[in-house]
Amino acid sequence: MEKVRDGDLDKLGLLFQRYKRPLYGFFYGLNRSQELSEDLVQNTFFRILKYRHLFRGDGDFRTWMFHIARNVSHDHFRKDKIRDKEDIDKWGGRLGHADHQESDMKKAEDEQMLTIAMDRLPEDKREILLLSKFQEKKYSEIGELLGCTEGAVKVKVFRALQELKAVYQQLEKRM
Amino acid sequence: MEQQRINELIAKYNEGLADPSEIRSLEQLIEEGKVELTSLNELARLDEEIMKTQVHGPTIRLDDAFHAMMEKEKARQNRFSISWPSITWLPRIGVAAAMLVAGWVAGSKWSSPAPDSNVQQLTQQVSELKEMMLLSLLEKESATERLKAVSLTSEMDKVSDKVTNALFQTLNKDPNVNVRLAALDALKPYVQQSNVREGLVRAIALQDSPLVQVSLAELMVAIQEKKSVTELKKLLESNKTPKEVKERIQKSIQVLI
Repeated sequence: MEKVRDGDLDKLGLLFQRYKRPLYGFFYGLNRSQELSEDLVQNTFFRILKYRHLFRGDGDFRTWMFHIARNVSHDHFRKDKIRDKEDIDKWGGRLGHADHQESDMKKAEDEQMLTIAMDRLPEDKREILLLSKFQEKKYSEIGELLGCTEGAVKVKVFRALQELKAVYQQLEKRM
Repeated sequence: MEQQRINELIAKYNEGLADPSEIRSLEQLIEEGKVELTSLNELARLDEEIMKTQVHGPTIRLDDAFHAMMEKEKARQNRFSISWPSITWLPRIGVAAAMLVAGWVAGSKWSSPAPDSNVQQLTQQVSELKEMMLLSLLEKESATERLKAVSLTSEMDKVSDKVTNALFQTLNKDPNVNVRLAALDALKPYVQQSNVREGLVRAIALQDSPLVQVSLAELMVAIQEKKSVTELKKLLESNKTPKEVKERIQKSIQVLI
Protein backbone atom coordinates (compact mmCIF):
# COMPACT_ATOMS: atom_id res chain seq x y z
CA MET A 1 0.00 0.00 0.00
CA GLU A 2 2.92 2.31 0.68
CA LYS A 3 3.90 1.91 -2.99
CA VAL A 4 0.36 2.78 -4.08
CA ARG A 5 0.46 5.84 -1.84
CA ASP A 6 3.77 6.87 -3.42
CA GLY A 7 2.30 6.69 -6.93
CA ASP A 8 2.65 3.06 -8.07
CA LEU A 9 -1.04 2.56 -8.86
CA ASP A 10 -0.53 -0.87 -10.42
CA LYS A 11 0.16 -2.27 -6.95
CA LEU A 12 -3.45 -1.54 -5.99
CA GLY A 13 -4.45 -4.26 -8.47
CA LEU A 14 -2.54 -6.78 -6.35
CA LEU A 15 -4.27 -5.61 -3.18
CA PHE A 16 -7.61 -5.81 -4.95
CA GLN A 17 -6.98 -9.40 -6.05
CA ARG A 18 -5.96 -10.34 -2.53
CA TYR A 19 -8.74 -8.68 -0.59
CA LYS A 20 -11.77 -8.55 -2.90
CA ARG A 21 -13.14 -11.87 -1.64
CA PRO A 22 -12.90 -11.24 2.13
CA LEU A 23 -14.22 -7.74 1.61
CA TYR A 24 -17.08 -9.05 -0.53
CA GLY A 25 -17.77 -11.73 2.10
CA PHE A 26 -17.91 -9.06 4.81
CA PHE A 27 -20.40 -6.94 2.86
CA TYR A 28 -22.41 -9.92 1.71
CA GLY A 29 -22.68 -11.07 5.33
CA LEU A 30 -24.10 -7.67 6.19
CA ASN A 31 -26.55 -7.13 3.34
CA ARG A 32 -27.07 -10.47 1.53
CA SER A 33 -27.08 -8.81 -1.85
CA GLN A 34 -24.52 -9.79 -4.43
CA GLU A 35 -24.88 -6.68 -6.52
CA LEU A 36 -24.82 -4.31 -3.58
CA SER A 37 -21.83 -6.08 -2.03
CA GLU A 38 -19.89 -5.78 -5.27
CA ASP A 39 -20.77 -2.08 -5.42
CA LEU A 40 -19.58 -1.60 -1.85
CA VAL A 41 -16.28 -3.41 -2.55
CA GLN A 42 -15.84 -1.11 -5.53
CA ASN A 43 -16.64 1.94 -3.34
CA THR A 44 -14.14 0.79 -0.74
CA PHE A 45 -11.37 0.53 -3.32
CA PHE A 46 -12.43 3.84 -4.79
CA ARG A 47 -11.94 5.46 -1.37
CA ILE A 48 -8.63 3.64 -0.87
CA LEU A 49 -7.47 5.10 -4.18
CA LYS A 50 -8.82 8.55 -3.41
CA TYR A 51 -7.45 8.75 0.12
CA ARG A 52 -4.26 6.76 -0.47
CA HIS A 53 -2.18 9.73 0.73
CA LEU A 54 -3.77 9.27 4.16
CA PHE A 55 -2.39 5.75 4.60
CA ARG A 56 0.26 6.30 7.26
CA GLY A 57 2.06 3.03 6.69
CA ASP A 58 2.54 2.42 10.40
CA GLY A 59 -0.42 0.04 10.66
CA ASP A 60 -1.80 -2.97 8.92
CA PHE A 61 -3.36 -2.39 5.48
CA ARG A 62 -6.20 -4.83 6.16
CA THR A 63 -7.23 -2.94 9.30
CA TRP A 64 -7.21 0.33 7.38
CA MET A 65 -9.18 -1.28 4.54
CA PHE A 66 -11.86 -2.63 6.91
CA HIS A 67 -12.05 0.76 8.59
CA ILE A 68 -12.92 2.26 5.20
CA ALA A 69 -15.23 -0.65 4.41
CA ARG A 70 -17.23 -0.06 7.60
CA ASN A 71 -17.61 3.61 6.72
CA VAL A 72 -18.73 2.71 3.20
CA SER A 73 -21.31 0.32 4.58
CA HIS A 74 -22.57 2.76 7.22
CA ASP A 75 -22.80 5.55 4.66
CA HIS A 76 -24.82 3.33 2.37
CA PHE A 77 -27.29 2.27 5.03
CA ARG A 78 -27.56 5.76 6.42
CA LYS A 79 -28.97 6.67 3.02
CA ASP A 80 -31.23 3.67 3.00
CA LYS A 81 -32.38 3.29 6.57
CA ILE A 82 -35.56 1.33 5.93
CA ARG A 83 -34.26 -2.16 5.60
CA ASP A 84 -36.21 -5.19 4.76
CA LYS A 85 -36.34 -6.93 8.14
CA GLU A 86 -37.78 -10.35 7.71
CA ASP A 87 -40.15 -11.84 10.21
CA ILE A 88 -38.90 -14.95 11.94
CA ASP A 89 -41.99 -16.86 10.75
CA LYS A 90 -41.05 -16.32 7.12
CA TRP A 91 -37.68 -17.97 7.55
CA GLY A 92 -39.08 -21.43 7.35
CA GLY A 93 -39.74 -20.73 3.70
CA ARG A 94 -36.08 -20.12 3.10
CA LEU A 95 -35.12 -23.47 4.54
CA GLY A 96 -35.18 -26.81 2.85
CA HIS A 97 -34.60 -25.64 -0.70
CA ALA A 98 -31.06 -26.83 -0.88
CA ASP A 99 -30.60 -28.95 -3.94
CA HIS A 100 -27.98 -31.29 -2.57
CA GLN A 101 -27.46 -35.00 -2.29
CA GLU A 102 -29.00 -36.48 0.85
CA SER A 103 -25.62 -36.79 2.60
CA ASP A 104 -24.92 -33.13 2.09
CA MET A 105 -28.43 -32.02 2.88
CA LYS A 106 -27.98 -31.81 6.65
CA LYS A 107 -24.75 -29.82 6.32
CA ALA A 108 -26.27 -27.47 3.79
CA GLU A 109 -29.30 -26.94 5.99
CA ASP A 110 -27.16 -26.26 9.06
CA GLU A 111 -25.17 -23.74 7.10
CA GLN A 112 -28.29 -22.11 5.76
CA MET A 113 -29.78 -21.94 9.23
CA LEU A 114 -26.61 -20.36 10.57
CA THR A 115 -26.77 -17.80 7.78
CA ILE A 116 -30.37 -17.00 8.64
CA ALA A 117 -29.51 -16.77 12.35
CA MET A 118 -26.69 -14.39 11.48
CA ASP A 119 -29.11 -12.27 9.46
CA ARG A 120 -31.37 -12.07 12.50
CA LEU A 121 -28.64 -10.55 14.69
CA PRO A 122 -28.52 -6.81 15.29
CA GLU A 123 -26.11 -5.13 12.88
CA ASP A 124 -23.35 -4.43 15.43
CA LYS A 125 -23.27 -8.07 16.52
CA ARG A 126 -23.35 -9.38 12.97
CA GLU A 127 -20.57 -7.00 12.10
CA ILE A 128 -18.28 -8.08 14.94
CA LEU A 129 -18.68 -11.73 13.93
CA LEU A 130 -17.96 -10.92 10.30
CA LEU A 131 -14.93 -8.85 11.24
CA SER A 132 -13.74 -11.70 13.41
CA LYS A 133 -14.09 -14.04 10.44
CA PHE A 134 -12.56 -11.86 7.76
CA GLN A 135 -9.88 -10.35 9.99
CA GLU A 136 -8.99 -13.96 10.87
CA LYS A 137 -9.69 -13.51 14.59
CA LYS A 138 -6.99 -10.91 15.00
CA TYR A 139 -8.76 -9.26 17.90
CA SER A 140 -6.11 -6.61 18.52
CA GLU A 141 -6.51 -5.39 14.91
CA ILE A 142 -10.28 -5.36 15.31
CA GLY A 143 -9.83 -3.41 18.55
CA GLU A 144 -7.76 -0.86 16.64
CA LEU A 145 -10.55 -0.63 14.09
CA LEU A 146 -13.31 -0.20 16.66
CA GLY A 147 -11.32 1.94 19.04
CA CYS A 148 -11.40 -0.48 21.97
CA THR A 149 -9.14 -3.00 23.70
CA GLU A 150 -8.55 -6.55 22.55
CA GLY A 151 -10.34 -7.78 25.69
CA ALA A 152 -13.37 -5.63 24.90
CA VAL A 153 -13.49 -7.11 21.39
CA LYS A 154 -13.49 -10.63 22.82
CA VAL A 155 -16.41 -9.71 25.07
CA LYS A 156 -18.28 -8.28 22.07
CA VAL A 157 -17.65 -11.52 20.16
CA PHE A 158 -18.77 -13.53 23.20
CA ARG A 159 -22.03 -11.58 23.44
CA ALA A 160 -22.67 -11.84 19.71
CA LEU A 161 -22.05 -15.59 19.77
CA GLN A 162 -24.38 -15.96 22.76
CA GLU A 163 -27.15 -14.18 20.90
CA LEU A 164 -26.43 -16.16 17.76
CA LYS A 165 -26.72 -19.37 19.74
CA ALA A 166 -30.09 -18.25 21.14
CA VAL A 167 -31.45 -17.40 17.68
CA TYR A 168 -30.08 -20.63 16.25
CA GLN A 169 -31.77 -22.69 18.96
CA GLN A 170 -35.03 -20.84 18.35
CA LEU A 171 -34.79 -21.75 14.66
CA GLU A 172 -34.04 -25.38 15.42
CA LYS A 173 -37.22 -25.61 17.50
CA ARG A 174 -39.25 -24.40 14.55
CA MET A 175 -37.84 -27.02 12.22
CA MET B 1 -10.21 -15.68 40.83
CA GLU B 2 -8.24 -18.86 41.23
CA GLN B 3 -7.89 -21.24 38.30
CA GLN B 4 -10.04 -23.96 39.85
CA ARG B 5 -12.99 -21.57 40.26
CA ILE B 6 -12.50 -20.39 36.68
CA ASN B 7 -12.59 -23.99 35.45
CA GLU B 8 -15.76 -24.64 37.42
CA LEU B 9 -17.36 -21.55 35.94
CA ILE B 10 -16.43 -22.64 32.41
CA ALA B 11 -17.80 -26.14 33.07
CA LYS B 12 -21.05 -24.67 34.41
CA TYR B 13 -21.39 -22.41 31.38
CA ASN B 14 -20.74 -25.30 28.99
CA GLU B 15 -23.51 -27.27 30.65
CA GLY B 16 -25.87 -24.32 30.16
CA LEU B 17 -26.26 -23.81 33.92
CA ALA B 18 -24.56 -20.42 34.37
CA ASP B 19 -26.80 -17.67 35.77
CA PRO B 20 -26.61 -14.01 34.58
CA SER B 21 -24.19 -12.96 37.34
CA GLU B 22 -21.89 -15.85 36.45
CA ILE B 23 -22.05 -14.88 32.79
CA ARG B 24 -21.02 -11.36 33.79
CA SER B 25 -18.06 -12.83 35.72
CA LEU B 26 -17.19 -14.84 32.65
CA GLU B 27 -17.24 -11.70 30.52
CA GLN B 28 -14.89 -10.06 32.99
CA LEU B 29 -12.52 -13.02 32.75
CA ILE B 30 -12.68 -12.97 28.96
CA GLU B 31 -11.83 -9.26 28.94
CA GLU B 32 -8.89 -9.88 31.26
CA GLY B 33 -7.67 -12.66 28.99
CA LYS B 34 -8.11 -15.34 31.68
CA VAL B 35 -10.73 -17.27 29.69
CA GLU B 36 -10.42 -17.97 25.97
CA LEU B 37 -13.51 -18.15 23.78
CA THR B 38 -12.28 -21.51 22.51
CA SER B 39 -12.85 -23.02 25.96
CA LEU B 40 -16.59 -22.33 25.72
CA ASN B 41 -17.62 -25.43 23.78
CA GLU B 42 -20.90 -24.45 22.21
CA LEU B 43 -19.79 -20.94 21.27
CA ALA B 44 -16.47 -22.19 19.94
CA ARG B 45 -18.38 -24.66 17.73
CA LEU B 46 -20.63 -21.91 16.40
CA ASP B 47 -17.63 -19.66 15.81
CA GLU B 48 -15.96 -22.47 13.94
CA GLU B 49 -19.08 -22.94 11.82
CA ILE B 50 -19.06 -19.24 10.94
CA MET B 51 -15.41 -19.51 9.91
CA LYS B 52 -16.23 -22.49 7.70
CA THR B 53 -19.27 -20.94 6.02
CA GLN B 54 -18.40 -20.46 2.40
CA VAL B 55 -19.49 -17.29 0.71
CA HIS B 56 -19.53 -17.33 -3.07
CA GLY B 57 -17.11 -14.84 -4.54
CA PRO B 58 -17.86 -11.67 -6.44
CA THR B 59 -18.58 -11.86 -10.15
CA ILE B 60 -16.42 -10.63 -13.02
CA ARG B 61 -18.50 -7.43 -12.96
CA LEU B 62 -16.50 -6.29 -9.92
CA ASP B 63 -13.17 -6.88 -11.67
CA ASP B 64 -14.39 -4.94 -14.69
CA ALA B 65 -15.55 -2.05 -12.54
CA PHE B 66 -12.26 -2.00 -10.63
CA HIS B 67 -10.13 -2.02 -13.76
CA ALA B 68 -12.27 0.70 -15.34
CA MET B 69 -11.77 2.81 -12.23
CA MET B 70 -8.01 2.27 -12.36
CA GLU B 71 -7.82 3.21 -16.04
CA LYS B 72 -9.76 6.38 -15.30
CA GLU B 73 -7.47 7.28 -12.42
CA LYS B 74 -4.34 6.65 -14.48
CA ALA B 75 -5.74 8.76 -17.34
CA ARG B 76 -6.53 11.51 -14.83
CA GLN B 77 -2.98 11.35 -13.50
CA ASN B 78 -1.54 11.51 -17.00
CA ARG B 79 -3.70 14.51 -17.83
CA PHE B 80 -2.41 16.12 -14.69
CA SER B 81 1.19 15.40 -15.56
CA ILE B 82 0.71 16.67 -19.13
CA SER B 83 -0.61 19.95 -17.92
CA TRP B 84 1.87 20.34 -15.05
CA PRO B 85 4.70 19.59 -15.02
CA SER B 86 5.06 18.51 -18.66
CA ILE B 87 7.86 17.53 -20.97
CA THR B 88 6.78 20.00 -23.62
CA TRP B 89 5.42 22.83 -21.57
CA LEU B 90 7.51 22.93 -18.49
CA PRO B 91 10.62 24.57 -19.99
CA ARG B 92 8.37 27.05 -21.78
CA ILE B 93 6.50 27.84 -18.60
CA GLY B 94 9.85 28.25 -16.87
CA VAL B 95 11.13 30.65 -19.51
CA ALA B 96 7.84 32.54 -19.54
CA ALA B 97 7.84 32.83 -15.76
CA ALA B 98 11.48 33.87 -15.71
CA MET B 99 10.81 36.56 -18.36
CA LEU B 100 7.76 37.77 -16.51
CA VAL B 101 9.67 38.01 -13.29
CA ALA B 102 12.66 39.64 -14.99
CA GLY B 103 10.35 42.14 -16.71
CA TRP B 104 8.60 42.89 -13.49
CA VAL B 105 11.87 43.36 -11.65
CA ALA B 106 13.25 45.61 -14.43
CA GLY B 107 10.00 47.57 -14.56
CA SER B 108 9.96 48.02 -10.83
CA LYS B 109 13.55 49.22 -10.82
CA TRP B 110 12.79 51.67 -13.65
CA SER B 111 9.83 53.25 -11.95
CA SER B 112 10.96 53.18 -8.36
CA PRO B 113 13.69 51.34 -6.53
CA ALA B 114 12.28 48.06 -5.26
CA PRO B 115 13.18 46.91 -1.80
CA ASP B 116 15.95 44.29 -1.84
CA SER B 117 13.80 41.77 -0.02
CA ASN B 118 11.28 41.69 -2.90
CA VAL B 119 13.99 41.04 -5.47
CA GLN B 120 15.46 38.33 -3.32
CA GLN B 121 12.08 36.74 -2.90
CA LEU B 122 11.47 36.72 -6.65
CA THR B 123 14.92 35.38 -7.39
CA GLN B 124 14.23 32.65 -4.89
CA GLN B 125 10.93 31.82 -6.60
CA VAL B 126 12.56 31.60 -10.04
CA SER B 127 15.24 29.38 -8.64
CA GLU B 128 12.65 27.10 -7.01
CA LEU B 129 10.74 26.90 -10.29
CA LYS B 130 13.88 25.85 -12.13
CA GLU B 131 14.62 23.25 -9.50
CA MET B 132 11.15 21.83 -9.86
CA MET B 133 11.52 21.66 -13.64
CA LEU B 134 14.86 19.94 -13.31
CA LEU B 135 13.64 17.32 -10.87
CA SER B 136 10.59 16.64 -12.98
CA LEU B 137 12.55 16.32 -16.24
CA LEU B 138 15.05 13.93 -14.66
CA GLU B 139 12.20 11.47 -14.19
CA LYS B 140 11.36 11.36 -17.91
CA GLU B 141 11.94 8.32 -20.07
CA SER B 142 13.54 10.25 -22.88
CA ALA B 143 17.32 10.69 -22.50
CA THR B 144 17.06 14.01 -24.38
CA GLU B 145 14.68 15.33 -21.73
CA ARG B 146 17.00 14.17 -18.98
CA LEU B 147 19.93 15.88 -20.71
CA LYS B 148 17.86 19.07 -20.81
CA ALA B 149 17.22 18.70 -17.12
CA VAL B 150 20.90 18.34 -16.30
CA SER B 151 21.77 21.35 -18.45
CA LEU B 152 19.30 23.48 -16.50
CA THR B 153 21.74 23.53 -13.59
CA SER B 154 24.06 25.80 -15.63
CA GLU B 155 21.39 28.49 -15.31
CA MET B 156 21.30 28.24 -11.54
CA ASP B 157 23.43 30.37 -9.27
CA LYS B 158 23.34 27.86 -6.49
CA VAL B 159 21.64 24.52 -6.09
CA SER B 160 19.97 22.83 -3.15
CA ASP B 161 20.93 19.46 -1.71
CA LYS B 162 17.83 18.06 -3.40
CA VAL B 163 19.29 18.95 -6.81
CA THR B 164 22.79 17.65 -6.07
CA ASN B 165 21.27 14.43 -4.78
CA ALA B 166 19.22 14.10 -7.97
CA LEU B 167 22.36 14.71 -10.03
CA PHE B 168 24.22 12.01 -8.10
CA GLN B 169 21.30 9.68 -8.61
CA THR B 170 21.59 10.37 -12.34
CA LEU B 171 25.37 9.99 -12.32
CA ASN B 172 25.16 6.63 -10.58
CA LYS B 173 22.04 5.10 -12.05
CA ASP B 174 21.01 6.65 -15.34
CA PRO B 175 21.03 4.04 -18.13
CA ASN B 176 22.40 6.53 -20.65
CA VAL B 177 26.16 7.28 -20.62
CA ASN B 178 25.71 10.76 -22.10
CA VAL B 179 23.27 11.71 -19.37
CA ARG B 180 25.67 10.37 -16.74
CA LEU B 181 28.53 12.40 -18.23
CA ALA B 182 26.33 15.49 -18.32
CA ALA B 183 25.44 14.94 -14.66
CA LEU B 184 29.14 14.74 -13.84
CA ASP B 185 29.76 18.02 -15.68
CA ALA B 186 26.82 19.59 -13.89
CA LEU B 187 28.32 18.63 -10.53
CA LYS B 188 31.75 20.12 -11.28
CA PRO B 189 30.90 23.71 -10.24
CA TYR B 190 30.01 22.44 -6.76
CA VAL B 191 33.17 20.45 -5.99
CA GLN B 192 34.05 22.94 -3.25
CA GLN B 193 31.22 21.46 -1.20
CA SER B 194 32.48 18.58 0.90
CA ASN B 195 29.33 16.49 0.37
CA VAL B 196 29.72 16.79 -3.40
CA ARG B 197 33.38 15.75 -3.25
CA GLU B 198 32.49 12.78 -1.09
CA GLY B 199 29.66 11.82 -3.43
CA LEU B 200 32.00 11.93 -6.41
CA VAL B 201 34.53 9.69 -4.67
CA ARG B 202 31.76 7.19 -3.84
CA ALA B 203 30.53 7.34 -7.44
CA ILE B 204 33.82 5.95 -8.80
CA ALA B 205 33.10 2.41 -7.69
CA LEU B 206 29.57 2.53 -9.13
CA GLN B 207 30.57 3.29 -12.72
CA ASP B 208 30.85 0.68 -15.43
CA SER B 209 31.30 2.98 -18.41
CA PRO B 210 34.96 3.61 -19.34
CA LEU B 211 34.11 7.17 -20.40
CA VAL B 212 32.61 8.03 -17.02
CA GLN B 213 35.42 6.23 -15.18
CA VAL B 214 38.09 8.22 -17.01
CA SER B 215 36.19 11.50 -16.60
CA LEU B 216 35.85 10.90 -12.87
CA ALA B 217 39.56 10.03 -12.56
CA GLU B 218 40.49 13.24 -14.39
CA LEU B 219 38.19 15.27 -12.19
CA MET B 220 39.77 13.77 -9.09
CA VAL B 221 43.17 14.93 -10.36
CA ALA B 222 41.78 18.38 -11.15
CA ILE B 223 40.37 18.82 -7.67
CA GLN B 224 43.30 16.99 -6.02
CA GLU B 225 41.01 14.68 -4.12
CA LYS B 226 43.44 12.25 -2.49
CA LYS B 227 40.66 10.31 -0.80
CA SER B 228 39.73 8.97 -4.22
CA VAL B 229 42.92 6.90 -4.55
CA THR B 230 41.44 3.89 -2.76
CA GLU B 231 38.39 3.87 -5.01
CA LEU B 232 40.50 4.34 -8.14
CA LYS B 233 42.73 1.43 -7.12
CA LYS B 234 39.64 -0.76 -6.93
CA LEU B 235 39.00 0.01 -10.61
CA LEU B 236 42.60 -0.98 -11.37
CA GLU B 237 42.08 -4.31 -9.63
CA SER B 238 38.80 -5.04 -11.35
CA ASN B 239 38.84 -7.43 -14.32
CA LYS B 240 36.01 -5.52 -15.91
CA THR B 241 38.01 -2.30 -16.31
CA PRO B 242 39.47 -2.03 -19.86
CA LYS B 243 43.26 -1.86 -20.25
CA GLU B 244 43.28 1.68 -21.68
CA VAL B 245 41.17 2.93 -18.81
CA LYS B 246 43.51 1.29 -16.31
CA GLU B 247 46.46 3.12 -17.87
CA ARG B 248 44.69 6.47 -17.57
CA ILE B 249 43.66 5.75 -13.99
CA GLN B 250 47.20 4.67 -13.13
CA LYS B 251 48.47 8.06 -14.35
CA SER B 252 45.82 9.84 -12.31
CA ILE B 253 46.78 7.93 -9.17
CA GLN B 254 50.44 8.80 -9.66
CA VAL B 255 49.55 12.48 -9.87
CA LEU B 256 47.34 12.27 -6.81
CA ILE B 257 49.96 10.47 -4.69
